[in-house]
Amino acid sequence: MIAKKISANVVALVVALFFAFPTYWMVATALKPRGEMLTSGYDLVPFSVTDANLVTAWTKPGFLNALGNSLLVSLGAVLGAIVVGLLAAVALSRMRFKGRKGFVMLMLVAQMAPFEALLIPMFLMMRDLDLLDRLPALALIYFAVTLPFCAWTLRGFVNGIPLELEEAAMVDGCGRWGAFRRVTLPLLGPGLVATSVFAFVTAWNEFLFALSLMKDQAKETLPVWLSGFQTNFGTDWGGAMAASALFTLPVLVFFLIVQRKMVTGVTAGAVKG
Amino acid sequence: MTAVHTTDAAVPTTSTSAPRRAAPDGAPRRRGGAFDRALPYLLLAPAVVAILWLIGWPVLSVVVTSFRKLNLRELTRGEVVWTGLDNYVEILGDPAFWGITVRTVVFTALVVAVSVLAGLLIALLMRQISPFVRIVLQVAMLLAWAMPLLAATTVYQWIFDQQYGILNKTLVKVGFDSFAGYSWFSTGTSTLTVIGLLIVWQAIPFLAFSLYAGAIGIPKDQYEAAGIDGASAWQTFRAVTWPELRPLLLMVTFLSLLWDFKVFAQIWAMKKGGPDGGSTTLAVYQYLEGISKSHFGVAAAVSVVMVALLALLTFQYLRRLVRSQEGSL
Repeated sequence: MIAKKISANVVALVVALFFAFPTYWMVATALKPRGEMLTSGYDLVPFSVTDANLVTAWTKPGFLNALGNSLLVSLGAVLGAIVVGLLAAVALSRMRFKGRKGFVMLMLVAQMAPFEALLIPMFLMMRDLDLLDRLPALALIYFAVTLPFCAWTLRGFVNGIPLELEEAAMVDGCGRWGAFRRVTLPLLGPGLVATSVFAFVTAWNEFLFALSLMKDQAKETLPVWLSGFQTNFGTDWGGAMAASALFTLPVLVFFLIVQRKMVTGVTAGAVKG
Repeated sequence: MTAVHTTDAAVPTTSTSAPRRAAPDGAPRRRGGAFDRALPYLLLAPAVVAILWLIGWPVLSVVVTSFRKLNLRELTRGEVVWTGLDNYVEILGDPAFWGITVRTVVFTALVVAVSVLAGLLIALLMRQISPFVRIVLQVAMLLAWAMPLLAATTVYQWIFDQQYGILNKTLVKVGFDSFAGYSWFSTGTSTLTVIGLLIVWQAIPFLAFSLYAGAIGIPKDQYEAAGIDGASAWQTFRAVTWPELRPLLLMVTFLSLLWDFKVFAQIWAMKKGGPDGGSTTLAVYQYLEGISKSHFGVAAAVSVVMVALLALLTFQYLRRLVRSQEGSL
């Protein structure tokens, strides 16, 4: 029994190593001096560390520009999707009206829309709107990609807040809006954070549309900029790893904050039976 | 675990408060003014308009475009040329297209099967290990999950680098001398294997976390009962764990299919569908036809075929999902 327990733990540690190694290797390479990079020597642990690669990546032409573009389109899209999604979620969760079921179904189905397969019509549409090579095109698309998910997930979170709390506030003299703002909205806080993080990561990662719609280098987002690292860095793997690490950092911080909520949010609608 | 309680609580709350809001005779409790009656529609309007405009319209448009001849020439002149089924005849008559389709389906099936199975095994493993090791494992998986796709692809390219990659160096170190300078990207199959490993590596954490959350929700007394009956580990899995986890497993398999079938970023960033188109999948083919060659009509036909295939793969589950949601509204 004890032998079994120990072997399970050992297996788990090996699995953990498999998952952690690429991140470790990214950081280790990023901190390695350039001279130690392209050698045949075997060094799992860097002999010495330097911040030269991070400086190289940070000052590489295009990096800061791409970082700004990525932040702009991701934050813009998420802000829009959260506000519009929350309005819809409140209506779907708290109000009775004709056609409600149809609207719920619309959100569910829209969530599963395979966006990658809509590349051609999106391209043509943005061309007609004269938005090719303009960041609002990406912000609009990322807004559309994340909106159904936001509306659906937030509806779940609103459902989880007992209506009785709002009713109690209304008995105490709050208006409907006041009751929502003072009672439901604060309780929604964690749900709003978790949903925004998930939406943000989706937009932050998006590659196909950014590659197809932004042919102008000044409008590149970080994923597209990084995909061309061989033209940017050549064989400077230290610089490439440093850029990757900088790209990963914000997401990692967000993930550590809300990891538990994300799992339950995505699978909340599992079919029983 | 607060979130688990929040979302779980959603089910009883809606079912108890929903009937109460309507008066017993079915009439609304409070007859509001026109504004109150319009309010839900006003709140929904922005979302519905956005979805119809940015999702609904493109869905229609992709089908319509697939029946048109639309190359750069027609596009710049603004000509509308209907060609009926010509685009479909062109791609379906091309043996290369069938090769790509089969490759996409096989690749998706393998990636989904391996990642779901590994996710399940790790979820079950997580129940057997000490709390400290469990946290180590969870943090390690979180690192893999959080890494942006393009950062992960770049790191994998470095690990698998022909000359200085740590993998080849390690293989040589432990005695496999033939891996000195071995190229992992010389054929389509080995390129896709590396890409597949990358996708599986990033997909497992979500699957393992979800299934672990489901597994710890299984009542302990069921396992005690199985233990008293003298069931073996495998029998316990078959009789207790499997039936309880099945809905969740179906759900995550469905989501994985949905996600992995359309993978583009990793494949494109790794070798742009190469060498010699050997790692080209339908998503890459669509991009090459549509964006690189400006054959928008043909690319739209590829998109329609992609959606049809995806629908075919997930149809059974989709139907059950929609039905179950209808019941619980």
